[in-house]
Amino acid sequence: MRILTVALVAGIFAMGTVAKPKDEASQYKTAEAKHFTTAEGVELTPAFVDYFYAELRSELTKAKLVNEVVGEGEAVEDADAPKSLVISGTITEYKKGNVVKSALIGFGTGMRSLKMDADVVRRSDKQNLCVLHVHVKIDPRWNEKIMAKGAARQMVKEMKKALAEGTKPS
Amino acid sequence: MPLRGSLRSTTTILVSAGLTWMACPQAKADEPKPKPENTISIQLGEPVPPQKFEHPLKFWIADVTDRSGNPQPMMVMKERGGVFLDKQPTAIVKEAIEQSLKAANLLAPDAGSANLVLRVYLFHFGLAAGSGLDFFGKVEFSTMVKNTKTGESQEVKAAGTSIAKGAVRKKNMQKNVEENIEEALHDATRNFVRGTQLKEAVAALSKGTEVVPAGAPSATETAKPPSR
Repeated sequence: MRILTVALVAGIFAMGTVAKPKDEASQYKTAEAKHFTTAEGVELTPAFVDYFYAELRSELTKAKLVNEVVGEGEAVEDADAPKSLVISGTITEYKKGNVVKSALIGFGTGMRSLKMDADVVRRSDKQNLCVLHVHVKIDPRWNEKIMAKGAARQMVKEMKKALAEGTKPS
Repeated sequence: MPLRGSLRSTTTILVSAGLTWMACPQAKADEPKPKPENTISIQLGEPVPPQKFEHPLKFWIADVTDRSGNPQPMMVMKERGGVFLDKQPTAIVKEAIEQSLKAANLLAPDAGSANLVLRVYLFHFGLAAGSGLDFFGKVEFSTMVKNTKTGESQEVKAAGTSIAKGAVRKKNMQKNVEENIEEALHDATRNFVRGTQLKEAVAALSKGTEVVPAGAPSATETAKPPSR
């Protein structure tokens, strides 16, 4: 009985030590998020782009997709470059929405909407690892910064999925 | 009747005067004042290790100018009794950059012995407009890097951002704001000292000139012959 208990405890510890690196180790060393550009006709303030940049960095840190999230234009060690990502993109469409339409018609009509495209490239050889398309819709009465939060969250989620699919052994 | 009318108007005047008098101190109380309870201290914490330059260099920070246009630079937040800084943002930024350069032995002891002189223009320090659910900390500055020998200069921009959770209790709010600005400051300092812009500026400014520090090398530094 005592041997069994000891074996069980040892087993649990072994499982823990095996599981720990799996949770912690990230495949990529650094990620650099750049300020997104806005396409012609997109009426968004520079403050929105700034806030989205901060949110994207915050979400990347939370997702633990990479070991370190570096700021825009920061130097990365040459040895780390093959395992480093650069995320850049464009806000392609922004619709302010309509409060009246949203309240009277509903069913998604008059919603505030934002579309953006992003490219994730490897720092060393600029190879495109994935292309992301994000479309976020929120209530027109909400602050546009909430939309930035949602967009950043969705972008990181899709990036994580795309990178995981791309690295799966065939 | 005229007596009653004049009495009524006198009462109205008295009531309105009384209400105005009562409202005045309240309006004054709305303007927050710095007290030890609502003052935070922003520090860099761990110095940021700067990038390695091709040649040994010494920097000197000449001055930090506030270009934010904020009439109250020490007030970080106006709501809920206000949150104030214990020092001017320019002093905090100067200290942060100096601390990081000094840790890597890149800070000259005086302006005369420096290869490159930095003039920092601070554009934003503190909280910026966020979603309302959290605190959005932002530190943004631009630096003119000047070669003391040639007189040429180059601009290097740096920015740091941080998003922290909002809080209901004032004590937690103050703590979150402090941590948030500290993180933004750390981020901006890192963006400056590890940025490719600084690397390019240093490379461009030291082109064709000797970049050997004018000051004597410190005890920890190994003396290197000047590159010819």
